[in-house]
Amino acid sequence: MVGLPYDCVANPHGAVRLTFEKAVAASQDADSVAALCGKDWGAVDLFRKFLFEEDGLSKVPILNKSSLPWIKPNTLVRFRGMVQDMLGNELYIGAFKDGSTWRTNKFTDVACRPIPSSCQSFLWERRLFVCVPVPGHNSWILDAAPQVVHNNYDTGDASQHGDKRMRDASHDAMELNVLDEMDSSCSKKQREDEHIFQPCQSLVGEAVLQGGMLENRNNLEESSFSCLVKAYDLPESHLKLNDVFEFIGIYTFDPELVHANDTDDSSFDLMEDVSNQLPPNKVPRLHCLVSRKLAVQDFLSGSLALQPLPNVMSDIRESLLVHLSALLGNDTVAAQFLLLHLLSRVRRTVDVIAVGKLSLNLTGFNRESASVFGNQLNSIIMELFPFSKVIPLSVEYLNNAVLQPRKDNQSGRLVTGMLQLAEGTHLTIDETHLQAGVLNSVGVENARLLKNLMEWQTVQYDFEYYKIEMATDIQMLVFSEGKSNILPADMILPFRPEFFVSVKKASTKELQAWRWYLATVRSLHYSNGPQVQQMLEDEIVAAMREDRSLGYKDLERVLIMAQLLSASLGERSVSLEQWQKAKELEKLRKERLR
Amino acid sequence: MKNLDFAADKALAKDFLNNFADANGEPKYLTLLQDVANRRTRSVQIELDDLFNYKDLDEEFLQRVTENTRRYISIFAEAVDELMPEPTELFSAEDDHDILMTQRAEDMTDNADNSDPFRRMPPDIKRFFEVYIKAFSKGTPLTIRQVKASNIGQLVKISGIVTRCSDVKPLMQVAVYTCEECGFEIYQEVTARVFMPLYECPSVRCKTNNTKGNLILQLRASKFLKFQEAKIQELSEHVPKGHIPRSLTVHLRGELTRKVAPGDVVELSGIFLPIPYTGFRAMRAGLIADTYLEIMSVTHFKKKYEDYELSEDEQKQIEGLAEDGDIYNKLARSLAPEIFGHEDVKKALLLLLVGAPHRKLSDGMKIRGDLHICLMGDPGVAKSQLLKHIINVAPRGVYTTGRGSSGVGLTAAVQRDPVTNEMILEGGALVLADMGICAIDEFDKMEESDRTAIHEVMEQQTVSIAKAGITTSLNARTAVLAAANPAWGRYDLRRSPAENINLPPALLSRFDLLWLILDKADMDTDLEMARHVVHVHQNLESPSLGFTPLEPSVLRAYISTARRTSPSVPRELEEYIATAYSSIRQEEAKSSAPHSYTTVRTLLSILRISIALARLRFSAAVAQSDVDEALRLMQMSKFSLYSEDRQRSGLDAISDIYSILRDEAARSNRLDVSYAHALNWISRKGYSEAQLKECLEEYASLNVWQIHPNTFDIRFIDA
Repeated sequence: MVGLPYDCVANPHGAVRLTFEKAVAASQDADSVAALCGKDWGAVDLFRKFLFEEDGLSKVPILNKSSLPWIKPNTLVRFRGMVQDMLGNELYIGAFKDGSTWRTNKFTDVACRPIPSSCQSFLWERRLFVCVPVPGHNSWILDAAPQVVHNNYDTGDASQHGDKRMRDASHDAMELNVLDEMDSSCSKKQREDEHIFQPCQSLVGEAVLQGGMLENRNNLEESSFSCLVKAYDLPESHLKLNDVFEFIGIYTFDPELVHANDTDDSSFDLMEDVSNQLPPNKVPRLHCLVSRKLAVQDFLSGSLALQPLPNVMSDIRESLLVHLSALLGNDTVAAQFLLLHLLSRVRRTVDVIAVGKLSLNLTGFNRESASVFGNQLNSIIMELFPFSKVIPLSVEYLNNAVLQPRKDNQSGRLVTGMLQLAEGTHLTIDETHLQAGVLNSVGVENARLLKNLMEWQTVQYDFEYYKIEMATDIQMLVFSEGKSNILPADMILPFRPEFFVSVKKASTKELQAWRWYLATVRSLHYSNGPQVQQMLEDEIVAAMREDRSLGYKDLERVLIMAQLLSASLGERSVSLEQWQKAKELEKLRKERLR
Repeated sequence: MKNLDFAADKALAKDFLNNFADANGEPKYLTLLQDVANRRTRSVQIELDDLFNYKDLDEEFLQRVTENTRRYISIFAEAVDELMPEPTELFSAEDDHDILMTQRAEDMTDNADNSDPFRRMPPDIKRFFEVYIKAFSKGTPLTIRQVKASNIGQLVKISGIVTRCSDVKPLMQVAVYTCEECGFEIYQEVTARVFMPLYECPSVRCKTNNTKGNLILQLRASKFLKFQEAKIQELSEHVPKGHIPRSLTVHLRGELTRKVAPGDVVELSGIFLPIPYTGFRAMRAGLIADTYLEIMSVTHFKKKYEDYELSEDEQKQIEGLAEDGDIYNKLARSLAPEIFGHEDVKKALLLLLVGAPHRKLSDGMKIRGDLHICLMGDPGVAKSQLLKHIINVAPRGVYTTGRGSSGVGLTAAVQRDPVTNEMILEGGALVLADMGICAIDEFDKMEESDRTAIHEVMEQQTVSIAKAGITTSLNARTAVLAAANPAWGRYDLRRSPAENINLPPALLSRFDLLWLILDKADMDTDLEMARHVVHVHQNLESPSLGFTPLEPSVLRAYISTARRTSPSVPRELEEYIATAYSSIRQEEAKSSAPHSYTTVRTLLSILRISIALARLRFSAAVAQSDVDEALRLMQMSKFSLYSEDRQRSGLDAISDIYSILRDEAARSNRLDVSYAHALNWISRKGYSEAQLKECLEEYASLNVWQIHPNTFDIRFIDA
């Protein structure tokens, strides 16, 4: 990149400024700056070109907890995470006239030079999101993410800077420990500011690890890191809550901003300041230039070059099936159902029905077999899915866990709950720990939430004065002794292992193929022709004639199974053969239930 | 920037206040100012509606007022100052402020050095009023999401729910100091939330003497305003899918404080303003500005049907709908459109929403107008869904289960307040749903204490309580929509309906309509279901309904309009209803095992349903067709319970229709029966038009009667 007056990675602001000046100069009329409000003047295009056409993406470091200390402020970074909270709009002075030249403050927190006290200026707005690493993300997606070499940074400056933050962080960690019981963030701020200049180097080591603890002191061990994304000029519908996104933008950190709150006039009772909630020394700011929604494919390592050819698909399917049945103690029926379950996803919510969900309840576990088979299953699910969680269901868990995301009107934040999960997350619920006991009101509410999630694929978010249902796409697998009554799954299958063998771990290559297979099949678009549709209708009516007890749910289930069976072979349309096979499987299942 | 002529605008404002005449020709604002002068009121609310309707309207002026509202408030205040009339009444007990003011006025005349800017009295301190400008009452309010940076400085109208309120605090408007040296009063106007107090006397005398007089803040002489902050959040229906509600800080001043409480749904108009950061923060984080809404008016959302205000669009839409002949079916189908079938149930639910007017007889007896409906049926037939949908449509609805979540239960309870330890009366769901609809799921699993009280609620529409020294009666004028499961979980066809329904007859008789929804299957529904399943999975959308359902908001508007009419029963119909009633009684007497008890309550139910039907047509009088439809619905509801009974009696539909027609013809002693009449009779018994046609053809071929080829009128061939 010789000849460019700026470096997109190291000095993105330079590029922003340059394009701005160009845009202002290009339009002659007086209102040139006003016209720039709410749209891009070429800066984003420039970065897009740099990232995707000139292969600049690989040069951009990934912002995460471990890289935070050495990344220099005001450089280009990228961040992958889930939108956990939407804070609304922030108004800022977008452009102001410094003397006779216009300057912009877009993509920055601090003006490049002081704003004259009275000058012509424009208020623009940007949207704020709190993003966290995707809850329940598995380690392989981090390995799969491309690593960036970061030798070319001026380490001296960065480490100095990191040092300062470490000190702050350690201090906060200490404060947090002290204040865990007091739980008042307001007084915390006061005290933090009073004592901030006391050196406390001794604590640095492990305290840093706890440093990022947020208000959301839930059991979200890995989510302690979050990022405040400031997005510009995005249409409202671009981003939704719980979407997994990659943001590429400018990371800003101004150490002086950290303690700027001490003049805060407390007369504003209800004015929430974002920086009070999310202190900049703990929560990095990212001024988003480019953002894109991530699918599972984006987490796969790119080295695999497989084509969705029928023979490739069926080979991989076979090897996965063999592995699954080995894990399940040679219970091939259970393995087939498990595969269908793993391939399912909510294709769309029609009115209230989540079309395509296929939750599975494996019954017949006791505590020992659950720990043996369950652990094996959990570990393979962790290897196969980018995001997965396990809930060991017990009375204490139900009574104490925070499952429901809740709006805290005191702080204006959405307090996350266990069930705030990204689309495509796999959730395993181990019911074998459940024993007789008394549920309190929290427990009843939690059980209801889980049931609603299972039946309707929605999670109710509590906004204190009303509740809002959020649609989800979470695959749910239940282990239980008998049929689970708390969690009515779509498929209930008694699990009959023949023997237990410890299965050797699958090779990386196999795992990669399986991941690719699952992602490909799940993203397949089905399209049945009119003949197939007619065939299915006839088949369904025939099935109902045969068995009067079949209800809507049963028919729906067989149809989904047939569709998934076809899809598992890479076909887009249901064939009669697969329909028969689905019915066959269903019959096997019913026999076991007897 | 244009050069704005504020002096000219002040003249315009004055002119408006002076000359505006409301619909009755009264000088509205002059009367208001007189009240202010007499200290009866403090707030001068200038409505944009009035400004708009003003005969000498200057549209540009109106535009300026909406876009630069804060400035125009002070312009209007100045105009009011100049127009303020003398008080016409004496008000007793002058308060401190008045005494101070008289003293100040005397001071002013004594002293000649008025040139000193700090000694000039700010107009605010003299004012006994606050000026508010209220936004147009027409037009839909914005959601919080729609308030953008471009709205800054403008008057906007928004709706939302109050989530937090701060205490009411005094806010200094004019700070008054006295100087130790020269003794002068110094005024300082405070425009922001924070101000820098003066320490040195700036008066001319102190300056010339170079004494640096020490200033002392006089709290009693200063002017304070009541001030309250609140936080409002978007209403759930305004939040786009997959987003979370936004919130906004609002500032309430003066007379507007203490108007809202957390949980209130309000419509606010106010000025959208930024707060620039001050001091150190301004230098560092000067880029960001917090915003708030300076409230100008507060309107609480009306939750009652009767107060529902229609926008112009809605008015037009409703007029269009009313002309449509098929409105009854259309509205009924639009209730819970995603639930397939159950058309008669939906019709009944529509009538429940509409209801009949309450009647109060001259002797003080009250007759309830609300319809009560009970849905019974197998689990999983979408009863709860129907209930929830109805609550969604009703402007005031409470959804609860028989075992209500709070200890209060359904009716009311006396409880001990945990804080004050006093006994307090707390209303349950039925009391909270007063003048609305109360949907009670799992009605059969009601608490024993509620079960006794609910009898009273359903007929007298009050809840009486005499416990712990509290004897009172609470209004519960609510329509009860109950859903119950059969006694053994599933409806047992081998047992009688009475056994299946686990509720006492005394309670059941209070329901106008009882409906049993069974999960039965036949070929048609099978095929329908197959098609539905395949279609949903194929196209990822529901099959088209064959019609576009009306939006809940339109339904709500239509129903609220319908509820405004109060139809009467014409004299000539009384006879008709009476015969219909007596024939039901007779039929019941004839049958060996009466399933239901037809009582006077049934008669009242018929009347109520008929009136509700007339209301749907916006008609002032009940027509015979309304009564027929009411009878048909009642018959259908009975058939839903006793359908297998009909089959057992050995009569198939066709022969039953024949016997009905023959009986009716014999009773009226005629040989001719018009088709319309025949249709009326059989539909009352719950048969369809198709069945009638079939019957007509079949018996015509047997030469029992002749059918007129065009009109289908029937003529019996007398043997």
